[in-house]
Amino acid sequence: MLGTYYYHEIIRKTIIGFGTLFNQINIKHQGSDDTTTISDIRVPLAYGPVQKFLARIRQQADLNKPVQISLPRMSFEMTSIQYDATRKASLTQTFKASTGNNLKKVYLPVPYNIGFDLNIMVKLNDDGLQIIEQILPYFQPAFNITVNLVDSIGEKRDIPIVLESINFQDDYEGDFSTRRVLLYTLRFTAKTYLFGPIAESSEGLIKKVQVDTYTGDSVRSSTREMRYVVTPRAKKDYNNDDTSVLTDTISTTQVLIPVVSSASFNIGDRIIVDSEIMYVKEKPNATQLYVERGYENTSITEHLVNASIDKLTAADDLLVEPDDDFGFNESFTFLSDSKDYSPTRKIDF
Amino acid sequence: MALNPFFLQGSSGEQRLVQSLINEQLRMYGVEVIYIPRKFVNKKTIIQEIQSSRFDDNFAIEAYLNTYDGYGGSGDILTKFGVSIRDEVTLTISKERFEDFIGIFLNGMDSSEIELSTRPREGDLIYFPLGQRLFEVKFVEHEQPFYQLGKLYVYELKCELFEYEDEVLDTNIDEVDRELEDIGFITTLSMIGAGRTASAAAIVRTGYVRQLFLNNDGYEYVRAPQVAIGTAPTGIGNTDARAIAITTSKGGVSSVQKILFSNAGIGYSTIPSINFVSQVIGSGSTAITIGTGAAATCSIETQGYGVISISINDGGVGYSTNPIVTISGPSVGIGTSTARAESRINSSGIVTSILISDPGFGYDINNPPVITISNPETITGVGTYRFNEIVIGQRSGLRARVKSWDSDDGTLKVSFVGASSTQPYFYPGETITGQESGAIFSVKSYNQNDIYDKYSQNDEIEEEADLILDFSESNPFGTY
Repeated sequence: MLGTYYYHEIIRKTIIGFGTLFNQINIKHQGSDDTTTISDIRVPLAYGPVQKFLARIRQQADLNKPVQISLPRMSFEMTSIQYDATRKASLTQTFKASTGNNLKKVYLPVPYNIGFDLNIMVKLNDDGLQIIEQILPYFQPAFNITVNLVDSIGEKRDIPIVLESINFQDDYEGDFSTRRVLLYTLRFTAKTYLFGPIAESSEGLIKKVQVDTYTGDSVRSSTREMRYVVTPRAKKDYNNDDTSVLTDTISTTQVLIPVVSSASFNIGDRIIVDSEIMYVKEKPNATQLYVERGYENTSITEHLVNASIDKLTAADDLLVEPDDDFGFNESFTFLSDSKDYSPTRKIDF
Repeated sequence: MALNPFFLQGSSGEQRLVQSLINEQLRMYGVEVIYIPRKFVNKKTIIQEIQSSRFDDNFAIEAYLNTYDGYGGSGDILTKFGVSIRDEVTLTISKERFEDFIGIFLNGMDSSEIELSTRPREGDLIYFPLGQRLFEVKFVEHEQPFYQLGKLYVYELKCELFEYEDEVLDTNIDEVDRELEDIGFITTLSMIGAGRTASAAAIVRTGYVRQLFLNNDGYEYVRAPQVAIGTAPTGIGNTDARAIAITTSKGGVSSVQKILFSNAGIGYSTIPSINFVSQVIGSGSTAITIGTGAAATCSIETQGYGVISISINDGGVGYSTNPIVTISGPSVGIGTSTARAESRINSSGIVTSILISDPGFGYDINNPPVITISNPETITGVGTYRFNEIVIGQRSGLRARVKSWDSDDGTLKVSFVGASSTQPYFYPGETITGQESGAIFSVKSYNQNDIYDKYSQNDEIEEEADLILDFSESNPFGTY
């Protein structure tokens, strides 16, 4: 049952997403005049847990390290993984995700809360306050990051990072043989989602809808009268045909547009210049086209000389992708052939 | 009198003898350490701490190592914050020697930097030469041994390894100062050894757009509009004029300031139209046109010759500001006029384009004018930056301390960069001058990240996050 291999690296991505929030915090120190900045330090940040040998060979390559540690430092680590019943969704509900031309079937993700500790160690109280003040205002108490959790389906989710608590340790009391330690621990919860395996779906993208309309009062004996077919209609140029270019700049009111040769166009063509679609109504001469501007609700703008003119054709329609802005081609066919359409065999019989 | 008056409890002569014996013993069996007093640079009131300190004096003194069989403390441990070395030592120094050879000098120093000079102070550093380590005095025990012959002769210094942040260590003892060469927050300046002056050539033609007249500068041009100039008539060698608009903003109104040619065109016989094409954001009903109202006309020159464009032969190296372009004048004649142009550089300090503000009139096509581009700030970098010296950016005014200088690849590692909100970084192209060495080189680029710290993962985390995070709403903690 269990055992289908998959690994979306969701927890790792959540760790990275959490960590990156804190990787650009600086502290500054002033000189004796209290105004001139004499030092500006970006607080080093690292994921706390580390292989011991790696820490030793990297951080203590020189065995006789002259100092104990350099401060300030921040580290963060994952401390818990817990199911979040409050965000529970239906177990068997699925949604479809598209990857170009294929559909993938995805079960709704399972909500999990991942606990994080952000530890801040400073040498000076003032450093700690500088760091804390740069973090806390963003959490009220949550701050959302948008993470691409599952790359294969492009699933981006908002993950609220909730600031749960702030602990502060300042061991300034006691004998003089123990050093004062200033330590802040900020506890966070990242409300992430874990995805199960993602299955290929046998279903494809709907790129054509065809309806046969019957008239009559008998389901058996009625014959079809009309076929209505809808397909996507491109609103941008996909195949970069670069049919021609503008030989002069055109204004927003100009409907006669200068082209290299009008022979490259046919009346009824849809053409696109920058992002404005135009409809070719006439070809008055060899170097001009009479067009309808702002066709299909595109905005009418000025276009510079040498702007590319592309035709929007059936070839472009075939290249329309999910999530694109597209329109619809409609066709009506009147039928009187008494046949029926077989969706499985895709023929009339 | 309570004590027996026939016995002395330690005469001053005996006390001096004991002190001398102790001094002699310490000089025979001790270790020569460097005592480095802490000087206060910036004190924070209320929360009572010294925010910035300086260690720039040194006093050699003999000390007996009480923990002679090794360091005390918890040794090397792995913490949440990486490897921490908790070595401790206890050193004994002579009270008399301290007072005679260290205290007396401390007493003469600025009292705002040295608050106490009569005894060894907690917070001062001891350089321990056997392990080449810096220890911080955390406690001074003065009554151990306890009043022998009625007097105290030694201080026992309980020390642990220094926790470093951004304290300046500049004792003038190279062996000591270089201990912190690779430690702390270090940023990198890539320097240019030698700047190079850019060169360019003028192209002289006729039938060009002689002058542009900005009749209306428009408004709301927060982005520069495109300038569309009518095309040149068809003909061999004829070239369309091209220009860009430069915008300005005053009192919240953004308008077109001027128009500069990248090419003034060739072969115009009639005055072309000039249109400003505003940039459009979005499409359909939500499209927003940026700026409106600008209008311009022009005149053309169909007889005389002018500088219609300038081609760059060599973009040069090491520019920090747009260099001045000078074009030699035409031969003296009626109505002649000298062409003018402006240069543009990229972030690497190279001249990328020269735009013509006035093509001039009366030039000779067979004898094009000479283009002179001003020199970059530094033509030849000189000198060797010294370790720990202060360097100053000429234009930014930023000060920093040299951690290391590699003259082969021009890498200058610096620390203590006094960046501020008004001046956050060194400018590319500006010169960096060493205060002691007098070395001077130009900045090629400045990396504000510490790429040497073995603990820090800031860069790695950011790079990974860029692949998975959608920061279209921007990182609230800044762009990194």
